[in-house]
Amino acid sequence: MKNRAILLPIAVAAITTVSSGLAWSQEFKPSKQIETVVHTGPGGGSDLLARAIAELLQKEKLVSQRLQVVNKSGGGSAVAMSYLAEKKGETHTIGFFTGVWVTNPLTTAEATVTIKDLTPVVRLVLEPAVIAVKADSPYKNMKDFIDAAKKNPKQLAQSGGSVTSRDNLMRLLIQKATGAQWNFISFPSGGERLSNLLGGHVQIMVIEPQEAGEQIRAGNLRVIAALGEKRLASLPNVPTLKEQGIDVPLIPQARGVMAPPGVPREVVQYWEGVFDRFEKTATWKQYLEQNQFEDGYLKGPGLSKFFDDLTAQMREVLKEAGAKVVR
Amino acid sequence: MDALGNLLLGFAVALTPVNLFWCLIGVVLGTVVGVLPGLGPAATIAMLLPLTLKMDPATAIIALAGIFYGARYGGSTTSILLNIPGESSSVVTCLDGYQLARQGRAGAALGISAIASFIAGTVGVLGLMLIAPPLARFALRFAPPEYFALMVLGLAMVVFLAGDSMVKALLAMLVGLWLATIGTDLFTAESRFTFGQVKLLGGVDFIAATVGIFAIGEVLVNLESRGGAEIFKLAKGLRNLLPTLQDLKDCRFAFVNGSVIGFLIGALPGAGATVASFLSYGIEKAFSRHPERFGAGAIEGVAAPEGANNADAGGALVPLLTLGIPGGNTTAILLGGLILWGYKPGPLLIQEHPQLFWGLVASMYIGNVLLLVLNLPLVPLFAQILRLPYYVLYPLIIGISIVGVYSVNASLFDVWMMGLFGLLGYLMRKAHFPTAALILGMVLGDGLERALRQSLMMSQGDITILATRPISGVLLLIAIAILCLPTIRKVRSWRVETIEREG
Repeated sequence: MKNRAILLPIAVAAITTVSSGLAWSQEFKPSKQIETVVHTGPGGGSDLLARAIAELLQKEKLVSQRLQVVNKSGGGSAVAMSYLAEKKGETHTIGFFTGVWVTNPLTTAEATVTIKDLTPVVRLVLEPAVIAVKADSPYKNMKDFIDAAKKNPKQLAQSGGSVTSRDNLMRLLIQKATGAQWNFISFPSGGERLSNLLGGHVQIMVIEPQEAGEQIRAGNLRVIAALGEKRLASLPNVPTLKEQGIDVPLIPQARGVMAPPGVPREVVQYWEGVFDRFEKTATWKQYLEQNQFEDGYLKGPGLSKFFDDLTAQMREVLKEAGAKVVR
Repeated sequence: MDALGNLLLGFAVALTPVNLFWCLIGVVLGTVVGVLPGLGPAATIAMLLPLTLKMDPATAIIALAGIFYGARYGGSTTSILLNIPGESSSVVTCLDGYQLARQGRAGAALGISAIASFIAGTVGVLGLMLIAPPLARFALRFAPPEYFALMVLGLAMVVFLAGDSMVKALLAMLVGLWLATIGTDLFTAESRFTFGQVKLLGGVDFIAATVGIFAIGEVLVNLESRGGAEIFKLAKGLRNLLPTLQDLKDCRFAFVNGSVIGFLIGALPGAGATVASFLSYGIEKAFSRHPERFGAGAIEGVAAPEGANNADAGGALVPLLTLGIPGGNTTAILLGGLILWGYKPGPLLIQEHPQLFWGLVASMYIGNVLLLVLNLPLVPLFAQILRLPYYVLYPLIIGISIVGVYSVNASLFDVWMMGLFGLLGYLMRKAHFPTAALILGMVLGDGLERALRQSLMMSQGDITILATRPISGVLLLIAIAILCLPTIRKVRSWRVETIEREG
């Protein structure tokens, strides 16, 4: 409480300074360290992305102040989102969102802050994914696996993250489209998901191509489908789900930047300007390539529409999956 | 011979002045981070990762790994001196370490912890060097049923944490298990026991709970005893501040036990150093000739868990470097680092970049020596803190606790939780409930429940899956045997009494 009492006058002062200066300048420039909120602990996907971007922005000299990553993990994304919401009007705080920020409030009653309550800034990446099996598995393509799953309903298993993660939602969609049924086993850490696949305890897994790449090269894994509109450049021989006759809506895994509610327009414009320039740098292109991300750059009304569509789609998918949708 | 040739290559990398310098920086930073409760190696490495981008990758991983295993050395310091666990893997160290400090043997406890860390840390590197690939393949055989059995085995250690009453220990453990269920359920994404509190969605922070129960609870109990009585005795003279030859002899088995358990558990991606430290403590007490000393200041009770959490650091690097699979937060950041430095972590990493792997291995041998040389002279220095009068010491303990707990998540809520758990710790001490049993339940509860439900998902609800698989079956049998120990002891002492009476 004390903290906020100090922050509030500063925030108010910042806003008044900016608006009084409007007549001759519409520029916002950060004047102190920028608090960068992520919903995972150190080492999680969002954490690594935020830290990499903080570093690359500085390398390209696109921001004058340091981005300080703050881990607000817990409750899916609820802790981080409510923290951002508390920072209403704060000009020196941003957050890194993922699809979880959309799905988590849909299923968790306590997660009262939704993506609608925050200020979208930019979407930066879309993460492609593939479906992998162990290299010595009998399944050479999706048909092999689906047939086996139909023959032995609920005998095969998939390892993945939480039940609201993209992995599980894709499973539910494919099950519905094909009539096959198999189990989903949640593991909180990516390491356990992969080691259970490599150990033969589960049969398939949705995995990022970057994570799978070395396992494929070492002859440990085989990829049987790409989860995207088109084939991946790095795995040109792997057909998409659609090519294999499974026509299901694709759930994008998006990552990007959010601001607290009620921040002045100038602040959003400032960040849009920064990322407009950042998106075109060779450094960023190289980072995308290293991690096999797709450039998902999107801002403004397009981004708001993206969130609206995704929220509606997720609500449907979750309902059909039998999850308790609370809002 | 191959390993020897490779190791020579590794030393050629590690002994360059630059790498030696950064190895030293890494282990010093690690020690500092370990000593300070709260801020852990994961957060530190994440913060420093950007600085390493301009370094040679071998130098970078040598420095960051130094922080990782260096923190395990420092973790024992506040556990022993102030009953504040510096890292979650040092919780068990509080049990006997703090008692030793109260008996004026803080120096011996700190010293033995540094020595155990050195021995086990070195064994961990040896293991990483010699048996990493086959061990990683073996670890892949651990699926949810095996983890469940391992967690049950861990819970069986409650037998060795119980004081006079087994019932009280079991009750405390159950409360710990319940505390672990607070938060968001991974499987259904629903919240449990959060009472509408957003801040509880992420569960009870482990550091806040342990620091509260151990440090704050202890301070509260001590405040009751009025009068300026000295709480700590402290031996005069430097020699009395270090472990004696007898101490070293007493810890022979603990060194081996900690090294082996720590390394093996470390190589399992789903377990962790805290589990390893509890297991090695239990084993130590089970095979001890004077189990009654444990909890009242047994030097082996410090050596075993402190060794285990250091060997664990070597073990944790096994799946990371041989398969590209991170087992925990810290190794996940190292994985992120490897990608940023331009490597592709995976099964081919060692083969294609031998200088990186062997450079790291060699640097860890050097780092462990550096840590011992650094830490031993610090022992008498740190022990001086106990000369402080209680009216300085207690505020100091509370201050360090608050800062430490706050620094984990920058959350005042966690500080309040710490206060609440402090009160709980006080009440438990008053009613003679073993606090460590509660912590044990809290550490293992999450993994136990998860593994059980994952196993049942694998078997379609058939519970026999837990006992019919070879590894889990054996582990469960051992756990049952341990749980029967108190009964066997009781029967035996009853027989002895009867025979004596008749004689």
